[in-house]
This record gives sequence, C-alpha cells and structure tokens, in this order.
Amino acid sequence: MSDTSIKDFEAALAELDLLVKKLEDGDLSLEQSLALYERGVQLSRFCHTKLEEAERRVEILTERGELKPAPASLVGDDDPERR
Amino acid sequence: MPSHFGLPFDDEPDQPPAASKAVPAAPTSPSLEARVRDIARRTLGSTPAAPVAPAAPIEPAAPRRQVLSVSELTAAIRDQLEAQFFTVWVEGELSNAKIWNNGHLYFTLKDDRSQLKGVMFRTQLRYLKFKPVDGLRVIARGRVSVYEARGEYQLTCEMLEPKGLGALQLAFEQLKKRLQAEGLFDEARKRPLPALPRKIGIVTSLDGAAIRDMLKVLGRRYHHAHLVIRSTRVQGDGSAAEIAQAIRAIQRVPGVDVLIVGRGGGSVEDLWAFNEEPVARAIAECPVPVISAVGHESDVTIADFVADRRAPTPSAAAEIVVSSRDEFCHRIDRMRDRLDAAMMGRVQALSRRVHVLGGRTALAGFPTRLAMRGRDVTELAHRLDQQFRMRLSGRERTLTLLRRRLDAFDLGRRLDGIRTRLATADGRLRAAVIRRHDHAQAGLRERAGRLTSLSPLAVLGRGYAVAWNADRTHALRHATDVVPGDRIRVTLADGELECDVRGTAPRLTTND
Repeated sequence: MSDTSIKDFEAALAELDLLVKKLEDGDLSLEQSLALYERGVQLSRFCHTKLEEAERRVEILTERGELKPAPASLVGDDDPERR
Repeated sequence: MPSHFGLPFDDEPDQPPAASKAVPAAPTSPSLEARVRDIARRTLGSTPAAPVAPAAPIEPAAPRRQVLSVSELTAAIRDQLEAQFFTVWVEGELSNAKIWNNGHLYFTLKDDRSQLKGVMFRTQLRYLKFKPVDGLRVIARGRVSVYEARGEYQLTCEMLEPKGLGALQLAFEQLKKRLQAEGLFDEARKRPLPALPRKIGIVTSLDGAAIRDMLKVLGRRYHHAHLVIRSTRVQGDGSAAEIAQAIRAIQRVPGVDVLIVGRGGGSVEDLWAFNEEPVARAIAECPVPVISAVGHESDVTIADFVADRRAPTPSAAAEIVVSSRDEFCHRIDRMRDRLDAAMMGRVQALSRRVHVLGGRTALAGFPTRLAMRGRDVTELAHRLDQQFRMRLSGRERTLTLLRRRLDAFDLGRRLDGIRTRLATADGRLRAAVIRRHDHAQAGLRERAGRLTSLSPLAVLGRGYAVAWNADRTHALRHATDVVPGDRIRVTLADGELECDVRGTAPRLTTND
C-alpha cells in the first residue's frame, strides 16, 4: 500500500525486461538461468499482486492542503458495477 | 455635451487647432465663452458691462486686448475638451504601444493623416484579454484629457478592442503564438504518462459534469485507482489563477504522478480560463505529466497545446489513464511469457549440451597410438562402466534438481510444458548415454589401450565425484547401498572427503 512499494512497479518491470533479455541472449549456466527465472517469477508476481491489492481511494485536497475522503455523493454512484 | 457623444473624432477636426488662437474661433460652447469673458474681466479689471465681442473676435476695433496666461488658456482648453469628448469611440492603428513600469499602457493611435496619443491605466488594462501590439487596428473607447503641464492632450482609454477579430479570438492567437515561440508546445517537451499511475491528480470543479464522468470511467475500468481531486472554479473572473494555483498545490501531493486538468463543455467564454497564460504556465511548469481535458472534442484550448497529452473530453482523459494501466498489465504478461519461453529454451539448450558431452568427451580426442599395456581388460571395462554410470547419475541428479526447483515455483500450467520437455530430454539423454555405453563396450577391445590415458581424474576435474564405501573397496551406486550413519568417502578431483550419511532418499526416476 505504501508509496515506495508501488513505486517499484516501474523498477520491477525494468528489471524483468533486463532479466528476460539476459535469459534469451546469454549463454548462462543452469544455475544462473534458474536464479534469473526465479527472480523473474517473483517480479511478475509482485506486479500482479500489487495491482490487485491496491485499494480504490478518492481523496479531496482541500484549500489548506489537507487530504480528506471524497464525499459519498461523489463516489457512491459508480459502485454498483463493483465486483 | 450629449450631442457629441459617440461622434467619430474626425468630425471635429477644427477643435484642437482652435487652441492656438488667443480667442476662440467660434462660440461653440457657452461654458468656454463664459469662462473667457470671466477671465477677460478679471484681467482688465474694468468695463464690466462691455461684451467681449464674442461674435466678432477677428478684428476687434477696441484697443483692449485680452491677454491670457498660458495656464488660463490651457485650463480653458482642458475644460472644453474634456467636457466635449467625455466619451468617444475612436478607431485607428496602434503604434508605440508599451506598458511602462507603472503598469500603464501608453500608445499612439494613428490613421493615414493624424496621430493621437493615448494611455490606458493599469486598472483597466487588467481586463484586456489580448495584448496590444503595434500595427493592430483597434477601436478605443475613452475620453480626451489634457495634460496641462505640457500642453498636450491624449485619449484616456477605458476599453480597447481589436477591429474585425473578436477580442478573445485575438487573445487566443496571440498567446498561442507567443508560447509556441517559447517552445512550450514542442513535441520534445511532452512527457510519457507513467506506466502505472500511483495517484491520479484531478483539477476541476466538484460541481461540474466532468468529475462525475471521470469517476464513472475510472470506477468501472480501473477500480484500484487512487485519486486526489483538487476542486477549483473553472470559469469566471480569476478562475485562471485559481486553476493554476490548484495545479501547483496538487503536484506537491506525494505520489501524484499524473494530472488531469479540465472541465466539461461550455461556451468559449466558459472555457476561457484554459486559454489564459497562468494556466498554460502552470501546466508547462508542472513536474508531473499533465493531461488536458477541456470541453468537448471540438474545443481546443491553449492548455491542450501545453499539456503532455490532450484528451478530447474529461471521460477520454480517464480512458487514457485506464488504457495505460491495461497496457501495463499486458506488458507484465508478455514479459512473463517471454521469461517462461527463455527458461524453456535454456533447459533445452543445456539438455542438448549434456547429451553432446555424453557422447564426446570420454571417447574423443585421445592420442591415436598407445601401446597396449598389460592391464586386465575386465578391469578397464569395469572402470569404463563405472565412469559412465557416474556420469549418468550425475546428469540425473542435475535433472532431478532442475525438476525439483522448477516444481518449487508452482508454475501451474506454464510448467507443464517445461516438465514435458524435461521428461523428453531426460529420456533422450538416458537413452543416448546408454546407447553410448553399449557402443563403447562393444568397441572396448580396440580402444582399451587408448583408455589408459583416460584418468578418472579427468572426469572428476569437471565436477563429478565418486562416492565410496568407508573402506574404499567399492563405489556406491545406489542410495540403498548405505544407511544413515554410515561413513562414506567422496573422491573429488584434487582430494577426498570423509562424510557421514545423514539420510538417504530413493531417486525420483529409476527405470534401470
């Protein structure tokens, strides 16, 4: 939920990209390949998990710079389609 | 002087030159007449009843001259002009237009014959939408005023509008041209939207349709979105500054990495704030990418040009964010597919290599001529057999390890493919090794001599090991050869280990 872990999305994707290329191009040993693969699975799983576990939030930034939840009147009417 | 209201300036060409004469040319205004008479009376100090010959001033027969001071005359002119041209409309071409440090605009209005100096004070200038530049044909409304200290008159302008083009249209074109020249619309400035926004900032009015439209789209198709909304007025006086302020405020909220700025449809005037410089500047200076979403498809504003991405409507802006999220998901999936394919490729390549090694290293590249030594052929055969078995079990271990680790990833359906290929590779490998083995044994007699050069150490050097019973009388071939607690010896390329068996486990695959 925290910002820092979500920020890793981009990093995770970049690392995954790099890793796949390595695996595709490189002449790696079985050990190395497995290590990369394992890491790759972790990364892709991380991304999916984070995507799914994020919560819907609608906040209002007030004049005084405070964040408060949006009134239900504003966000309530789009809920019916929620799974 | 109501009769003069609204008269074009050209209709009164004689008025200002009249000031150069000592006496008014014509009794155009009773007030001037009265004033001059009054001045004359005071100056001469006599002849109270004598008229000052207002009707025939050109050749006064009387010796008395009316001498006015410059100030008096100027004051009289001033009164006259300012009263008479209290409200005039005048059309001309702007030149020497310049806003001074005091915030007032000074300019000259001209046509092909005359010039008229003018000023527009800061307070009025504020409401001017377009920028008064030289060469522009304008219609000005104002009053004529006289600057007595210098004997000059000028037009004090209250309103200025471009002739032909609407003021708003002109303002739009001017700002567009200016910002474009500054490079604010350059393609190179456009930043990509984040692959997956952490928080989506929205600057719009909470009362408008825009916010509801956006929430609807996001609620339906991007349910995990985190939105931060900064409400602002989006039309009316001062709304541009408010929008700019809102953009600056929301970009400071940690995690906000994309901004939607906009409003629903309306008239050109309604949308005007998005054509104003403060909003354009705020968007250009915004550290996070901005999507503009103003009005309808056909409405194009300055904000659209400056923004990193233009959405035709607020709903469309939300769709853009959604699609970037979808694209992100697809990227992960594609990457995952490639990862699996690459791993499968590696496994196959490695299996092939094991296969090739099995066929090549033990038997190839030996010296061609070696004397037959007096070794016992069966002893050699035994050693050869042992080597092959060791190598075989070594490979099996590798494959088993590989399979176990792959299993551990719980790959579900993706792994089935790998497993199948692995099993095939395994079977092929085994068959190949055994085939080799048979083949080698068949040709053993001829090759026995050469084999003396094949030290087991050469094999051990590649990382294989031989496990022996404690007395080192025979090599261990089956896990069942020992029980936990047994001491065994393991020969490596450069030494030996003494090990205690802590446990045994049968091989996962045994078909021999």
